[in-house]
Amino acid sequence: MNMHPISDNELVLYFYRDGLDARRIAEIDDALFAAPELRRRYTALQRLLHEIDAAPVVEPDAEFSQRVWRRLAARIDAQAPRRAWRSRIAALVRVPSLRAAFAAAVLALAVLGGYEAGRLGAPDADERTRTAASRILDAYVAAHLRSTEGLLLTAANSDSAELRAADHDLASALVESNRLYAAAAARDGNTRLADFLRQLEPVLIELANRPRDAPVQSIEDLRGYLRETDLLFKVRATEARLGAAETHRT
Amino acid sequence: MDEERRVAAARHGDRDAFRPLVEAYARPLFALCVRITRDAALAEDAVQEALFNAYRHLRDFDGRSSFKTWLYRIAVNAALEQMRKQDRHRVEVADDTDDEDNTLAEQHAAESPGPEAHAHGGEIASRVDAELARMTLLERTAFTLRHAEGCSIEDIATALSMNSSACKQAIFRAVRKLRHALQGIR
Repeated sequence: MNMHPISDNELVLYFYRDGLDARRIAEIDDALFAAPELRRRYTALQRLLHEIDAAPVVEPDAEFSQRVWRRLAARIDAQAPRRAWRSRIAALVRVPSLRAAFAAAVLALAVLGGYEAGRLGAPDADERTRTAASRILDAYVAAHLRSTEGLLLTAANSDSAELRAADHDLASALVESNRLYAAAAARDGNTRLADFLRQLEPVLIELANRPRDAPVQSIEDLRGYLRETDLLFKVRATEARLGAAETHRT
Repeated sequence: MDEERRVAAARHGDRDAFRPLVEAYARPLFALCVRITRDAALAEDAVQEALFNAYRHLRDFDGRSSFKTWLYRIAVNAALEQMRKQDRHRVEVADDTDDEDNTLAEQHAAESPGPEAHAHGGEIASRVDAELARMTLLERTAFTLRHAEGCSIEDIATALSMNSSACKQAIFRAVRKLRHALQGIR
C-alpha cells in the first residue's frame, strides 16, 4: 500500500502527538523504523525543538504574586459597592436553612403588596407598592437563579462525589424556594417568570432525588437534557434580564 | 479547599476564595505572557488584566474545559491586547514574510551580550531568543502555547479565534524560522 510522503510539517505534529489521527501516527511510526533518511530528518527536528528550550526564561520577582493580588483585590473592592445590596441578598439566599424562609417572605411581600395597592386605591401608591415588591422579587429570584445555575453546572460537569453530595442538599433547598418564587411571580402578575420557574422545578426535583452515587449515565442524561432544552442558557438569560431590569430602575 | 470549590465560591462573590487561585497561577501566567509580549512590564499588566477579567467573568466558566485552560485563554488574549495597545507588533495571518529586517534581533543581541553568549549553548539560546522576538505575534503565540505550555492545537485555535488549520500553519512557520535561525551554528 502506498503511503503519502511524510512532510516536515507532519513530523512537527508527530513530535507533539497533536493534530494527527491515530492511523497517521502509526504510519509515521512504521516509516521511522523502516527509513533511515526519515529518521535522520526527525532526529534533526527533535534536536531543534529541544534546543529551543535553551532560550532564556524571564522570571518575575519574589513579590510578584502578592503584588498582583494586592492590585487585584483593590480593583475588585472598587467595583463591589455598586452591587453591594444585591450581593448581600445573594449571600443570604445561599444559606440553605434560610432559602425557604426568604422565598416565603418574598411571597408574603408580593401578597401584601397587592393587598396594600388595592386598599390604598390611589394609582401612584399602587404603582409604587407594586414596583417595590417587584424589585425585591427580582433581586431574590436573580440570586436564586445564580444558585440554580451553579447547581446545574456542577451536577452536569463534576465527577467529584463530595460535590455531588453537596448538590443533593442544595437541590432539595432550591426545590421549595423555587416553588414559592414561582407563586410570588404569578401573584405579581409576572407569568413569564412564573412559567419559567415552574419549568425548572422537575429538574431540581430530579437532582434532589438523585442518588448520591449517581452513575455516569445519569450525568450524561442530564448533560443531554441541558443541551436539548437550552436550560442553562435560559437560566442565565432570565437572570440577566432580571439584573437589567433592576439596573434600568435604579 | 480544592480548586473546583474555590472557583465555585469565587463565582458567588467570595473574593478571598480567589486569592489562592491567583497565588497558584500568577507566575505561570507571567511565564506565558512574557513569552508572548517579550516585555516583563507588559506581561505583568497582562496577568493583572487576565485575572481581573477572569474574576469578573467566572460565571461564564462552564467547567467544560479545565479552569487552567480557561484562564490561559483569557491570559493569551490579555497579552495580545497589551501588545495591540503598545502597537509594537501587528497580528499577521499572511504567509511567511522571510524579510531580512534584523533590527529587533540585533537590538536584543546588543542588550544581552553576556560572556556565555560566545559559547555554543549561549549562541543557540541567543539566536532562538532573537528569532522568537522577530517572528510575528501570531506565530510566536501559537508556537509558545504549543511548545512551552503544552496546549493542544484545538485549544490554541480557540484561544486565538482561528481554525486549527491556520493554527498549524502558524506553528509550522515558527518552526521553519527557528530552524533557519539555527542553521550554520550546529
